[in-house]
Amino acid sequence: MKGVELKSGDLEGLFKGLLDKKAVDCLVLPHRVGNNVAYMMVTDKDKIESPVPAIFAPSFSVNAANVVKGWLIKEKIGIVAKPCEIRAAIELIKLKQMDKESVLLISVDCSGAFKNQDYADHAEEIGDWVDSAKIEELKGKGIAIREACEICDKRLADVGDIGIVKQDGDNVVVVGITDMGVEALSAIEDISLEDKDIDRSGETEKIAAEAKKKKEALPEISSVEALEEFLRDCIVCKNCREMCPVCYCKECFFEQPLGKPVGGDLLNIAELRGAIAVPANQLMYHLTRVYHVSTTCVGCGACEDACPKDIPLTRLYPVIAEKVQEIFEYVPGKDVEEPLPFTTYEEEELEDKLR
Amino acid sequence: MGEETTKKEEEKFEPKIVGFTCNWCTYAAADLAGTSRKKYPPNSRIIRLMCSARLDPMFVLKALLNGADGVFFSGCHPGECHYIKGNFYARRRIAAIRTILKQLGLDNRFKSYWISASEGEKFANTMKGLSEEIKELGPSPLRGKVL
Repeated sequence: MKGVELKSGDLEGLFKGLLDKKAVDCLVLPHRVGNNVAYMMVTDKDKIESPVPAIFAPSFSVNAANVVKGWLIKEKIGIVAKPCEIRAAIELIKLKQMDKESVLLISVDCSGAFKNQDYADHAEEIGDWVDSAKIEELKGKGIAIREACEICDKRLADVGDIGIVKQDGDNVVVVGITDMGVEALSAIEDISLEDKDIDRSGETEKIAAEAKKKKEALPEISSVEALEEFLRDCIVCKNCREMCPVCYCKECFFEQPLGKPVGGDLLNIAELRGAIAVPANQLMYHLTRVYHVSTTCVGCGACEDACPKDIPLTRLYPVIAEKVQEIFEYVPGKDVEEPLPFTTYEEEELEDKLR
Repeated sequence: MGEETTKKEEEKFEPKIVGFTCNWCTYAAADLAGTSRKKYPPNSRIIRLMCSARLDPMFVLKALLNGADGVFFSGCHPGECHYIKGNFYARRRIAAIRTILKQLGLDNRFKSYWISASEGEKFANTMKGLSEEIKELGPSPLRGKVL
């Protein structure tokens, strides 16, 4: 793999270089806003602020893939984001929501993230990077990372076109993962690429083992009654859909008359059944969404963050999605060339999953 | 006394089964079962689709949430699709929705079969079996719920 070792402070120059050399026309970058971190889209290289420590900050605002959803222009956009966001962007490419050639995906090592509010309230205590010991320590103080991050086993920057790998101390290794990534990096004058061999299999295994343990400890929704109880407070605001990076329909079924009955339609359904819950279609909405994102859900937890009623949706969407992904042996966002499970088939398969 | 009443009610339980069948095979098989006077329980309502691939898993969800005690799908045997590969795609979707339903303990209320146009008898027997199975499961937990 081609890469270069830099001081984290040099990343500013690298991003400026990408814009300067027209490797990208604009760059979506995390930056500091007060105590917190948010994204900005930059076209003028002089507006780039020092990206460290913002890019490693354990804070999750919005899934940056949402920004490029429907990026149907040929101008190239670069995104610097956490691996889950990059994986979502890769799924969006497969879903034809943007062109592979018009996005440069730069993933950054992630240590897990806190909700914006928690991060802002305890920014100093949390700091710019957390390891598993620190996560446990903070948890003892009542500051917990997002459940989605706790059960995440793909936190390393090994997806997208370029990966930014955090090293011990102040160093980072920037690697080109795809040809496009290598090309973009080699356009920058200040850096010279060399062969970098980073073996992170040990780290990957460790993260996976920890995540598995957390996943098993998660309360399970194992019956339809349990699901009803779980969704008790849902007001069908559909914020989870809005913030979901892989929910991409231009017009959702649940915005149409059948999915969102009003007036006479609603009365008719109520008359048919004697009594219905309103807003209507609560369970139908969630189950449909579970199915719709079942193969593409990257488990970023944006749905949970978006829920105004604090329903822990991570226990629903990514958990069930993973079981569906298992039967197709599909890992969303792993490979941009791998077809989506529902767009392909094998002549002999799955017969044991049908009855 | 009370026990007897419940027993009676159980006996009375007649499941409502919604079926989605492909026009080119199982729908014709149902027709064949009829014309060859094969008897099967009258508790299923068949909805004809033009192809297995027309089965949007949302149909299954909707039927279950509206209180159907059982839902079944039946199409042409894999490899024999009228439109060449419709049932291959359908099979993947069915596997996915069944995985989701399994998580909620509803997968035993959704069955899928491959029944070709010539298998009238198989259709009748399948319906008999399904009806028995659903009767044994009892009414759907979602029946009559305020949803």
